Amino acid sequence: MRVVIAEDSVLLREGIARLLQDAGHEVVGQAGDAEDLVRKVLAHRPDIAIVDVRMPPTNTDDGLRAALELRERAPDVAVLVLSQYVEEGYAHELIGGGAAGVGYLLKDRVADVERFVDSVARVGEGGSALDPEVVAQLLGRRRRDDPLEGLTPREREVLGLMAEGRSNSAIAEELVVTERAVEKHVTSIFGKLDLPPAAQDHRRVLAVLRYLGARG
Amino acid sequence: MSPAGLTPAKRAAITAIGFAGVLGAAWTIVAVLTSEHTSPKWLVLALMLTIGGSFTATGMYAWARRPDSWFGLQLSLVGLTTFLTALSASDDDLLFTLGVLVGSLSSAVMIHALLGFPTGRLRSRGERAYVGAVYALCTVGPLALLLVTAPAPDLPRNVLLVEENARLGDVIDAILRGGSLAAAIGAVALLVLRWQRATIPERRLLAPVLWSGVATTGALALSLAGQMLDLPGRLLNVFDFIGLFLFGSIPLAFVTGIVRQNLSRGHSVGRLVSRLGAAQAGRGAASLRDALAIALHDRSLSIAYWMPAGTGGEGRYVDAAGQPVALPRPGSGRSFTEVEREGRKVAAIVHDGSLDEEPELVQAAGAAAALALENERLDAELRVQIAEVRASRARLLDVVTRERRRIERDLHDGAQQRLVALALTLGIAEQQVGADPEQAKALIREARDEARLALEELRELARGIHPAILTDRGLRPALEALASRAPLPVALADVPEERLPPPVEGAAYFVVAEALANVAKYAEASHAEVIVQRLNGHAVVEVRDDGVGGADPASGSGLRGLEDRLSALDGRLAVFSPSGRGTTIRAEIPCAS
Repeated sequence: MRVVIAEDSVLLREGIARLLQDAGHEVVGQAGDAEDLVRKVLAHRPDIAIVDVRMPPTNTDDGLRAALELRERAPDVAVLVLSQYVEEGYAHELIGGGAAGVGYLLKDRVADVERFVDSVARVGEGGSALDPEVVAQLLGRRRRDDPLEGLTPREREVLGLMAEGRSNSAIAEELVVTERAVEKHVTSIFGKLDLPPAAQDHRRVLAVLRYLGARG
Repeated sequence: MSPAGLTPAKRAAITAIGFAGVLGAAWTIVAVLTSEHTSPKWLVLALMLTIGGSFTATGMYAWARRPDSWFGLQLSLVGLTTFLTALSASDDDLLFTLGVLVGSLSSAVMIHALLGFPTGRLRSRGERAYVGAVYALCTVGPLALLLVTAPAPDLPRNVLLVEENARLGDVIDAILRGGSLAAAIGAVALLVLRWQRATIPERRLLAPVLWSGVATTGALALSLAGQMLDLPGRLLNVFDFIGLFLFGSIPLAFVTGIVRQNLSRGHSVGRLVSRLGAAQAGRGAASLRDALAIALHDRSLSIAYWMPAGTGGEGRYVDAAGQPVALPRPGSGRSFTEVEREGRKVAAIVHDGSLDEEPELVQAAGAAAALALENERLDAELRVQIAEVRASRARLLDVVTRERRRIERDLHDGAQQRLVALALTLGIAEQQVGADPEQAKALIREARDEARLALEELRELARGIHPAILTDRGLRPALEALASRAPLPVALADVPEERLPPPVEGAAYFVVAEALANVAKYAEASHAEVIVQRLNGHAVVEVRDDGVGGADPASGSGLRGLEDRLSALDGRLAVFSPSGRGTTIRAEIPCAS
């Protein structure tokens, strides 16, 4: 997989490049600010761009804005956004019209190398990766007449992993159950929340996210 | 000068006095001119008309000028009772007897009026007892004398005569003379006592009337004493003449007082205006106060400036230094006159109670000084604000210091400790990597967990200092994030989409954060609502809940810290928390659009 990395901290940028190269990916470009990122992505057309939110020139959310720009100008390039903070609002902005090829993770997740590499691969292949903390925010929000109260604890767990963008097999592995059992839970959840069933994982993320976001 | 408080009833009473005075004068002229036993007729007539007329007229004027005071009425009654004396000029036996009976009543009324000046009310039980005794002396005394004394042969008959008794008559006469002398001396003493007890501004008012009263009663006493000592008749006539002359001078003294007052008022206010010019030229509040004190002849005078509601609290009076002051209560001997400018309260002149007798003077001085007072008031207001700013700055500094200590402690107890543990774990792993790779691997995993926890703690800490989303995206997204993390349903309404100045956004955010934290901790609410609106150049932030209410804004350092944060932006915080009906926290932050 061809990767462009945008991160203003050289140490972290080199670290990420190294662990992706170790995993067999090709780092075709490294950028230190938002403008450099856009230029390099448009030039290299990588499979995925890994983007830090806070970058020069303004050191606010330049990376996020550049990522949104890339979604417009190069929809075939997947984007994985990394940040010191994750905010539900940013997740909605990023995913917007579609969750395919979008990832949004806390920077800390790079420490769990195996899972991080996994997420990069999944997003690069057109899947989704939403940080567990964002999902926790979505699920943890208190609502009046909370429909999530109708779910069993196991179903909530499955819903959370679905929102993260995991496939049924990954969920089964995480929960140490059969894939068949996961399928049953998913059907039950969609039934209880009155959601139209979605075949692809990233469509599922969008449906869940829209559902939870709209119920704020 | 329009007489304030002149009711129709009093106007009618004054008119009635006027009619009575005209009737009395006409009767006096008829009675004296037709009298067969009065001489010299023209002198008596002139004296009676002068005294009766001047007292009646002056009393009417005084009453119209000060309808609240009885002094004018009393002065008129002195005049009318003087006309009654003319009854004794009648050749009719009954009218003559009546005239003798009430002949000395006018003296009693005059003493009453003098002692009551300027309010017409007697001050003490002693004074009332004294005046009562004088009235008794002037009514019962002549009655007793008439019962046993026959008039001279050329006079009309005494219809009250029961049985002539020369010895008893002499005794009663002696008692009456002694009593009259004592009464006259008593009046002098009481008047002098009043003078001594009067404040300086009071003395200015009392002087003409009091001193002519003292002189009159003094002359009366001398005349009475002379009679008792059997002084030669010629000398006695001189004393009587002086006494009568002084008696007639009392209304004149009163009028002189008024004229002097008016002149001095015009003069005072005129001089005040020129002094104010000097005070304006930079000698400040002290010289404004001095100028007013001199103009009003009241060295004890002070000024209280009005602070309207809004400059840190309810409307109240403060001194020049900005400290709150209480205005004197009625009956405390001190009084005050409020000064307005263009319909707005500016200041209160706090002065001696006696100046209430001359409200026009104080008001004229206040009006002349209104502009200067308004300037002083603005200065005082500025000082109040500076004092508040200082206090709030000190509290803000305190809040910042406490906040820094908390951050330092959190860093020390949290992330720093974890990083130390992480370094230690990595060190051990490094040592073991050769000998026991499995053990080293486990240690490294442990180190990674430590690092993750340290990062989480740093993230929370940073969010508490200033959330990145607020800087990056503004108030609405930041409040949405806050609402989504709250442990109860929070609805956002009307939050402006546009960016506000960073300090305003920061203050509004922390108001909501603190309010929601309090709701979660104390309110037992089922949900809360956050409203942010832009109204009249302010950002108005409201957080409402449906909880138990009864929150006390005075307690709780969180709200206090918010208040300081807001006051640094000239903002205000209000808490409405009726018990059992939820809590609303409302912050208003100036925010130009």
